[in-house]
Amino acid sequence: MRIIRNVFRRKLRAVLTISGIMIGVFALIVMGAMAEKITLLVDGGLKWTGDKVTVSAGDGAMGGFSTNPLSVDKVNEIEKVDGVAEASANITMLLSEKQSAMTMGMPPMIAGGDGRGKDYESFKVRYIDGREVKPADRGKVTVGADLANKLNAKVGKEVTIRGEKFEVVGLMEKTLTAPDSSVYVSLYDAQRLFHKGMPDMVRGRVNPDTMATGITVFIKKGYNPEKVAENINKEVIGVKATGPKVFKEQIGNSTKIFTSIIFGIALISLLVGGLSVVNTMTMAVTERTREIGIRKAIGASNHAIIRQFLSESAVIALTGGIVGLGFGSLFVLMANAGNTGTPLFLLTIRLMGGSLGFALFLGILSGLYPAWHAAKMNPVAALRHE
Amino acid sequence: MTMIKTKDLHKKYELGKGNHVHALRGVDMDIDKGEMVAIMGPSGSGKSTAMHLIGCLDKPDSGEVYIDGNRVDNQYNGTLTRIRSREIGFIFQGFNLIPTMTAVENVALAAEYAGASKRDAHDAAKKAIEQVGLKDRMYHRPSELSGGQQQRVAIARAIVNKPGVILGDEPTGDLDTATSHEIMDMMRDINITTGTTFVLVTHNPEVAEACDRTIRMRDGEVIDDGRESKPESRDLDDELMEVGG
Ligand SMILES: Nc1ncnc2c1ncn2[C@@H]1O[C@H](COP(=O)(O)OP(=O)(O)OP(=O)(O)O)[C@@H](O)[C@H]1O
Ligand SMILES: [Mg+2]
Repeated sequence: MRIIRNVFRRKLRAVLTISGIMIGVFALIVMGAMAEKITLLVDGGLKWTGDKVTVSAGDGAMGGFSTNPLSVDKVNEIEKVDGVAEASANITMLLSEKQSAMTMGMPPMIAGGDGRGKDYESFKVRYIDGREVKPADRGKVTVGADLANKLNAKVGKEVTIRGEKFEVVGLMEKTLTAPDSSVYVSLYDAQRLFHKGMPDMVRGRVNPDTMATGITVFIKKGYNPEKVAENINKEVIGVKATGPKVFKEQIGNSTKIFTSIIFGIALISLLVGGLSVVNTMTMAVTERTREIGIRKAIGASNHAIIRQFLSESAVIALTGGIVGLGFGSLFVLMANAGNTGTPLFLLTIRLMGGSLGFALFLGILSGLYPAWHAAKMNPVAALRHE
Repeated sequence: MTMIKTKDLHKKYELGKGNHVHALRGVDMDIDKGEMVAIMGPSGSGKSTAMHLIGCLDKPDSGEVYIDGNRVDNQYNGTLTRIRSREIGFIFQGFNLIPTMTAVENVALAAEYAGASKRDAHDAAKKAIEQVGLKDRMYHRPSELSGGQQQRVAIARAIVNKPGVILGDEPTGDLDTATSHEIMDMMRDINITTGTTFVLVTHNPEVAEACDRTIRMRDGEVIDDGRESKPESRDLDDELMEVGG
């Protein structure tokens, strides 16, 4: 109580300083919640790739055409390799036939899979409307969140993909990853589209029914995916299997940088708030020089003086922290509620606790110098101060 | 019995660039237990400086200070802090109290600094406040009290730890004559009933009049220690005291 009264001795200044911390914590909560969401998604993605091996056509194994597809038959061969639970053939290709000019982010893709390995898949996509595409579907498509507007897709309506008409059966929720900019068709449909787009010279030689551009391999529990990838490369001819390690490193690094930037910005604003606490406390110490002299005269130890000013700066920081946490959480919850699709923010206990803890830490840190300055004052000089 | 003794105190204040003020030039004082002594002298004569040294707020450049027979000028700062909080009470002129605290909190603070628990400090503070007749103003802030009432709170704060010595630097300096008398009477009363030694720096002859004796200072020296006559035996007594204590 006494501490709070001291803090609010200069009301406007106290409110301004508290606001500084509040804004910092607000930024930390909002931006941190975004980073937490991204981390969660990436962690999900990492888990997904974590136990999967991707297989593409072996280099030059089939005459050196880079567009040479894999054969669906390889799925059976791969499934015989020790440690493989199930393998799923799929085709991915660009949505537009012509290589478009520079686009920001991921280019829109068409993907078609045979639907195998579903039980092993941990990365679940949810649907705002409709259902997913089934292997037996013909002329049906589901559309990613970012493409829904672009293609003007609605469940039950038709969209045109590479010149063919498809009926939209599902609209996907935002995932903040690849599915957002993809459309999904059955493997059968994907094979036709891919075949149609091949150079005339090659097209005659391949059978669309057996084509695949990649095979996703699900690993049995307890097996090392890198080992299994090695074995596939050894035992199956004409394919190139890649373990999840490469992927993981790439994704892990880029999200680390991204979340560092986000947190960095928020931390800077909190540090600025901390500096204003230093300023306020230094002013308070100067203004209260005579009071410090009297306190010392009546027996305050240096520790008591330090404790007093540290508590005052801690109260400033904690008040700012709690208010900032409140506003930040409110903002995040409202933003999530106002957004149809997948929530953009994730408010975690560790983020809330961490933000408050950091604000408190910063408050105490900011109070250290002013408090020390007050404690080392000569009592006689302080008493002479008017 | 001697309560306060100083021997040949010297204190210089550096003003920078080699300039300095020689505030004390060999001050010897000798104040008995239970005495109420006034220190008078022109402005700048070193009264406050001497009082600060007696009160363990500062250390002399040379010389010695004894409180109740114990030498204090050569102690560590931590020890001095403890002596200040337990053995000495201070009353200053004006702006004595902490403005954000109520009267009783101001008094309790001194007890807390002396190591009392919050509850004990509060109880002791209440008693001290009652003793100075401010029971009905206990929960008022200094800004809601008159100058005389504020000084009474300062007196309550000075006595809350039952110190042996109370030092006042112009305790009636800001008060009108009537209030000044009131405060003086109160301190005299405490002096007589508890035997607490009082040293009051003052410009007011009436305050000095009410004391047992007046020490006069000029230019950093004691020019008159206020004793009617100085019997030869006194010096001898003191020599013996020092050897013994
Ligand atoms: N901290 C300091 N720095 C520099 N000079 C000082 C300091 N404290 C005291 N002095 C000087 O020492 C001398 C004695 O000061 P002191 O305060 O003891 O006088 P005083 O007798 O209490 O005077 P007053 O009656 O005006 O209060 C003065 O010349 C003063 O200017
Ligand atoms: Mg003075």
